[in-house]
Amino acid sequence: MEQAALKTQIRQYILDNFLFGGSDADLADNDSFLDKGIIDSTGVLELVAFVEENFDMKVQDEDLIPENLDSVDNLAAFIESRNGRI
Amino acid sequence: MNLCARCILPDTFPGIKLDDEGICNHCRGFKGIEVLQAHKKEYEGKFLDLVERFRGKGAYDCLVAFSGGKDSTYTLQVLRERYNLRVLALTIDNGFISERAFRNMCSVTDNLGVDHMIFKPRFDLMKQIFRKAAEEDIYSKKTLERASTICTSCIGIVKSVTLKTALEKNIMLIGYGWSPGQAPVQSAVIRTNPALIKATQAAIQGPLSKAGGDEVNSYFLTDAHFADADRFPYNVHPLAFLDYNEENIIKEIGRYGWQMPDDTDSNSTNCLLNAFANEVHIKRFQFHPYVWEIANMVREGVMNRDDGYKKIYGAQSPELLKVAQERLGLGS
Repeated sequence: MEQAALKTQIRQYILDNFLFGGSDADLADNDSFLDKGIIDSTGVLELVAFVEENFDMKVQDEDLIPENLDSVDNLAAFIESRNGRI
Repeated sequence: MNLCARCILPDTFPGIKLDDEGICNHCRGFKGIEVLQAHKKEYEGKFLDLVERFRGKGAYDCLVAFSGGKDSTYTLQVLRERYNLRVLALTIDNGFISERAFRNMCSVTDNLGVDHMIFKPRFDLMKQIFRKAAEEDIYSKKTLERASTICTSCIGIVKSVTLKTALEKNIMLIGYGWSPGQAPVQSAVIRTNPALIKATQAAIQGPLSKAGGDEVNSYFLTDAHFADADRFPYNVHPLAFLDYNEENIIKEIGRYGWQMPDDTDSNSTNCLLNAFANEVHIKRFQFHPYVWEIANMVREGVMNRDDGYKKIYGAQSPELLKVAQERLGLGS
């Protein structure tokens, strides 16, 4: 999966499940989910489930840091680093 | 209002799409019971490894967030007896715990032989926060999907005080009684991360301090708590990886003296504020704040659709609202 497609999938998941059908204009790739109040502590757990179910990977405890999870860019980079180029 | 033909989510639920067969996108996306069972086994295994790692290392092996309701009571029992942990039960008294729930807590902790702490925040402060939460939505939209604003306020304080207590007492496991519908199994055993906690704490602490003033800050972590990342505990909610059957749970905890309260609504077995919190949410958003949890349980096969339907759409006693409204000083 190219990075652009990966980011599109992540963005769509966030729009559908956290912004409830908002448009692309509502979410830039480098927007902080936490700073913008898009996800909270329970939302992080749901994000983990999304990543594990859709990208065939395990999110370890030490991976639960904002650098890996806190934006479309960060999440795409994290997934790619685990899976190589998918 | 149309409901998903499988799970009872209504078409007023945020982000829901019902297809031509009346089945929702969440049901269509569900990976199935077999995948779920595999996850359950995996996460219990992860928990057992942690038990071996931390058992006997300090005064307590595990801190349990103990509301007195059926799920946290069963969690307490399971951690004490099935996993043989030295448990400290911690109750955060929000000022609305039912008398029956208090009696249940005493019976259960006595009969299980566990230590029990109760922390009661100032009621004038809690009242101020709950009144504000009843008037306006002070958190992100996503929180509304799984709890009322009032409940999110309360549980934000519960989780923070619980984590603080675990850090201050060097307890490396925190047990929560979340039902299988409340949090995904992938979060059943998860280490709390200081950087993430710091970031997510702000999402609760900010609105609460606006609602209640600076006094609420004492319920949250300070820089001193964040200083040593290695002390941050693991959260576990074992009901996600154990077989869940409400009837069996009630029977099981009944052996320790737990009795069903008769003064709470169909979705709580401890809190007198819950019915009012639900009512506020339903009036504002046209869906029940517990419907996500219950729909998940129906989808996963731990609750049948009829029982789920009754919990969410069954009639509730108006008396339950009056108790909370009077205590909050609101007109009925």
